[in-house]
Amino acid sequence: MLGFIIRRLISAILVMFSISVLVFLIFFATPGVDPAARIAGRSASPAIIAQVRHAFGLDRPLPIRWALMMDHLFIKQDLSSYVNIGSRVVPQITQAAPVTLSLVAGAAVIWMVIGVTGGVIAAANRGKFIDPVIMFIGIAAVSVPAYWLGEVVNLITQGGLHHSIFAWVPPSGYVPITQSPGQWALHLIMPWLTLAALYAGIYARVLRAELVNALNEDYVRTARAKGLSERRILIRHALRCSLIPIVSLFGLDFGALIGGAALLTEVVFGLPGVGLLTYTSLQNLDLPVIMGAVMYGAFFVVLANAVVDIAYAFLDPRVRIA
Amino acid sequence: MIALGVLILILLSVIVAPFYAHDIAHTNPFTSNLNGTTVISGRTVPVLQPNTQGLGLGVTPIGPTWDFRHYFLGADNQGRDVFARLLYGGRNSLFIGTVSAIICCGVAAVLGMLAGYFGGVIDWVLSRIFDIVWAFPVYLLAISLSVVLLTSGLNLGPVHVGPGSLWLPIVIIAAVYVPYVARPVRGLTMSLREREFIQAAIGSGASDWRILTKEVLPNTLPSVIVFFPLMVAFNMLTESALSFLSIGVQPPAASWGTIINDGLGLLYTRPWVALAPGIMIVITAVSLNILGDGVRDAFDPKAKLRGAV
Amino acid sequence: MKFRSRWLGVASASALVAASLVTGAMGAQASTPSTGPALTYQPSHAGGTVKLLASSAGGTLDPQVNYTLQYWQLYQATYDGLVSFRKVSGKASFDIVPDLAVALPKVTNGGKTYTFVLRKGIKFSNGQTVTVKDVQASFQRLFKVANPNAGSWYAGIVGASACLAKPATCTLTGGVVVNPSKNIVTINLTAPDAEFLDQLAVPFGSILPASTPGHDMGTTPIPGTGAYMFKSDNPNTKLVMVRNPYFKVWNAAAQPQGYPKEIDEIFSNTVESEVTMVENGQANWMFDPIPSDRLAELSNKYASQLHVNTLTSTWYIAMNVNIAPFNNLLAREAVNYAFDKNAAVKLYGGTKLASPTCQILPPGFPGYQPFCAFQKGTGSTYSGPDLAKAKALVKKSGTAGMSVGVVAQTDTVDLALGQYLQSVLNSIGYKATLKPLSPNIQFNYIQNTNNKVQISETQWYQDYPAASDFLKILLSCSQFHPGSDNSINISGFCNKSLDAQMNQAETLMLTNPTKGNALWAQIDKQIMTKYAPWVPEFNPKLIDFISKGTGNYQFSKQFYMLVDQLWVK
Repeated sequence: MLGFIIRRLISAILVMFSISVLVFLIFFATPGVDPAARIAGRSASPAIIAQVRHAFGLDRPLPIRWALMMDHLFIKQDLSSYVNIGSRVVPQITQAAPVTLSLVAGAAVIWMVIGVTGGVIAAANRGKFIDPVIMFIGIAAVSVPAYWLGEVVNLITQGGLHHSIFAWVPPSGYVPITQSPGQWALHLIMPWLTLAALYAGIYARVLRAELVNALNEDYVRTARAKGLSERRILIRHALRCSLIPIVSLFGLDFGALIGGAALLTEVVFGLPGVGLLTYTSLQNLDLPVIMGAVMYGAFFVVLANAVVDIAYAFLDPRVRIA
Repeated sequence: MIALGVLILILLSVIVAPFYAHDIAHTNPFTSNLNGTTVISGRTVPVLQPNTQGLGLGVTPIGPTWDFRHYFLGADNQGRDVFARLLYGGRNSLFIGTVSAIICCGVAAVLGMLAGYFGGVIDWVLSRIFDIVWAFPVYLLAISLSVVLLTSGLNLGPVHVGPGSLWLPIVIIAAVYVPYVARPVRGLTMSLREREFIQAAIGSGASDWRILTKEVLPNTLPSVIVFFPLMVAFNMLTESALSFLSIGVQPPAASWGTIINDGLGLLYTRPWVALAPGIMIVITAVSLNILGDGVRDAFDPKAKLRGAV
Repeated sequence: MKFRSRWLGVASASALVAASLVTGAMGAQASTPSTGPALTYQPSHAGGTVKLLASSAGGTLDPQVNYTLQYWQLYQATYDGLVSFRKVSGKASFDIVPDLAVALPKVTNGGKTYTFVLRKGIKFSNGQTVTVKDVQASFQRLFKVANPNAGSWYAGIVGASACLAKPATCTLTGGVVVNPSKNIVTINLTAPDAEFLDQLAVPFGSILPASTPGHDMGTTPIPGTGAYMFKSDNPNTKLVMVRNPYFKVWNAAAQPQGYPKEIDEIFSNTVESEVTMVENGQANWMFDPIPSDRLAELSNKYASQLHVNTLTSTWYIAMNVNIAPFNNLLAREAVNYAFDKNAAVKLYGGTKLASPTCQILPPGFPGYQPFCAFQKGTGSTYSGPDLAKAKALVKKSGTAGMSVGVVAQTDTVDLALGQYLQSVLNSIGYKATLKPLSPNIQFNYIQNTNNKVQISETQWYQDYPAASDFLKILLSCSQFHPGSDNSINISGFCNKSLDAQMNQAETLMLTNPTKGNALWAQIDKQIMTKYAPWVPEFNPKLIDFISKGTGNYQFSKQFYMLVDQLWVK
């Protein structure tokens, strides 16, 4: 078991390393993006650019520049932006992280509640009218582009109806929970619902499939033979087993979202989270910030993967060999 | 069945796009028409209308006429017919979705089978590559690649792909989703390899190539086919998201995503420019997902697949 | 030499600030012709917090490094140079007035020596007194921090070449000489420079404490002498300015007293929500340009809160005169004939927001003489395109059928212009493709000859009002550096005889500005009519949208809205 965990962690570190190299190479391969020229300003003379290039260590060989960047990012933690010079990358990320966490945590509660309820109701009523209706709504939710849904929500709440029934919806933006919990929730409610729609659809569908499978298992038949009520069987027995894959799925999705996969939702609603930070730094080709944000995001994805894998290995010894 | 019908309807409508643009709307959806005029109930009006109220700031494109002969859904900020562009855009969206799904499923099937069948170093290397692509958030990878490729195009030996080519989004999207399909294929191949008929084939001295093509492939193909409609929907959604971030299909060509992007600048005044392509995407993706469920039930009733994220 | 693009900002200002547009205390300007106008302070309006909105921060806060109007607009209230632009509305805002110096300098030695007497008793916001040592250190620091224009504007100071070679040990010996006992600063130039005072009056010329470290200070505030000081800067949330406790008015024309108690610039809102917040009175002003689909709504419902000002700026298409097809004069003329400037104006927001132009210098600028070549009509104003002539020219040039790559920015207006240009090029016989690039990258990308850009959309905003700031900077041989990202002569246009005329015009400006500007006007006309390296598109206007109840809108042509003059009480 320990061996498995160690192997898993080593490969996680390897993945992180490769991603850092990949990001680094992609951006130094981009033509027309000489960081020195951009730092120096709009019409700096060649001498000035050379001076900046030297001061920032941009005249060193690529591997050394990579190592320097990693050193500044992880060890010294003083890596600073190429665009907002002096603005440190690490604090930028630590400031953006709570926004993303607020968005994702709130949305997760909503999608778990709706997804699980929907899945259970559909499974309990399989073959009846309500089942395909719920499943169709699930498919529709999965099929809507998240950014478009967000824009439509903006159009409805900030456009023509803003002066009547949606007057309570504040303009997009973020208010920290420490400043005003009410405003925090009010500003996030629309982003929560938008982000949750997609995942609620997925979870309802997956859970229904799991439940239907479980209801055909032997232990359920046994329970039925004992004369337990159908509702009790569904909630007490089938749901309990079916939640395991849901929880592992949740682990992966939550990790990815915290890591910046909520990018489009953050962009559309102007929430200054990790996704928006990544997006703006990509637009500015601000390599240090991109590197920081991508490493941060990859960390959560890799961590979530590793945790889920290791948890599975505990539950199912066969996995350890693989 | 309804889903299939809807898909065929959408296909037909995008196929007639040139006919519609040329013979019904008499418009060229790829050239700017900033000084154009059109006739509405007998009056000639400009396609781009200057504001005449207040301080007179701003120029607004003509809104929907709800008349198929001209500007059914209004014009975009270049004065082009949005409905004609919607039909042409559908061609690109469906083409990119389908072709990238073919490439993605093909590459994933090959890599997944190789990793699962040979195991050892090959499996380790491929699996780590999957891990890396998987852990690199999808849009980040796509955006980073696009930023580079859109400026310089793609040069791989004799293959040169220009920066405005449709093949760039296709390749990027296909590459990003390979692990989604390759991982289950790998798992399936690994379990197949333990099965008696494969062991028997290995024992009889058949070549790896022969075993892979004659024994493994027929058994993994159904799973890949089950993935296919879902991947088309998936890839189409991703394409639209990339185009929305203006790194997908390049103007003046259109896809549903680029039209949404064009429409965002007009969201509050001419919402239909952004709404219509979004609705088309939703209808198409719903049909594909339902079709995917049907295909799954037909091929593999017990398969547990994750829906399109 | 500043370029500011609209997604971050704006750059410089108007010829026609109509008095009717200015709300507050226009009448309060005491226009005494002998000393010139200055703003009169009205203490009853002091206090409150002004909230400014911007979608993103403007980069480093260091006034000797930052080259964005977004922050130049704030520096006007936080830093002072020896001289400054007059802080008023209207045309007088281009005047240069003494600031930390007692009076404008005495110029001797054939225009090569400037002698300033420093005011006594002025204090930095950290309580230190401003001395001639601080002045000397500030000039040295320009080179130590690699000021963007150290190699051009300030390279004429004696000793500058040594500083450019070895910035860390920069002394400017013989260039900036100070006399502490008499409080005198003497600056020696290697050659006369008609624009030297302009170059001292912009924020790069700010006087900072001698103890300021010789590197870009980034987000760390540096003490200054203005009415306000920076308190904190967080590029992801907000920038805070508060009153400088040591500030006392010494010359209201140069550094007037401000009204608000605090000025915040709040970042990271979407532009759409910025509009909504100003509409709702949750903020006083937005820095970003108003999105085009909100223009009609605002101009109909909020007309009294909008201020439209003409900018001294030209939006243009740069054609690369060194590679095909635009190394052919006929091809360049063809694009000039075909491109409809009125259509471009529509894409920018209509005739109330921009006026078509056929020339390099913007209206109201020194040396501006209207003319218009390559059009349907023959007058000096633009009447429309001549597509037939354009097609014939392309045919005659033998460049028909060539592939042309158009490089534009990804922001809405620029992308729309790029799409239109692509469409025009296709219609006259080329095969055009569009390469949209992020605004931050595009400007440097189109300058570098290695990228082989054939034609690009771009724009130029003045640094200070002098014809050379357009003509010499953008179209002289000295500004063309093949293979460099910083080669602002984007067309790669280099003509020796025109260069000689530009030098002659610059020399004339020292002795006879009228004659000098007449020569600049000729140069403007010659470049366009004889060589056509550009397609000038239009001169844009700027809209400021302020919230209801925000008073005393003052618009300086140099620094735009004076943020510290707003009333919120």
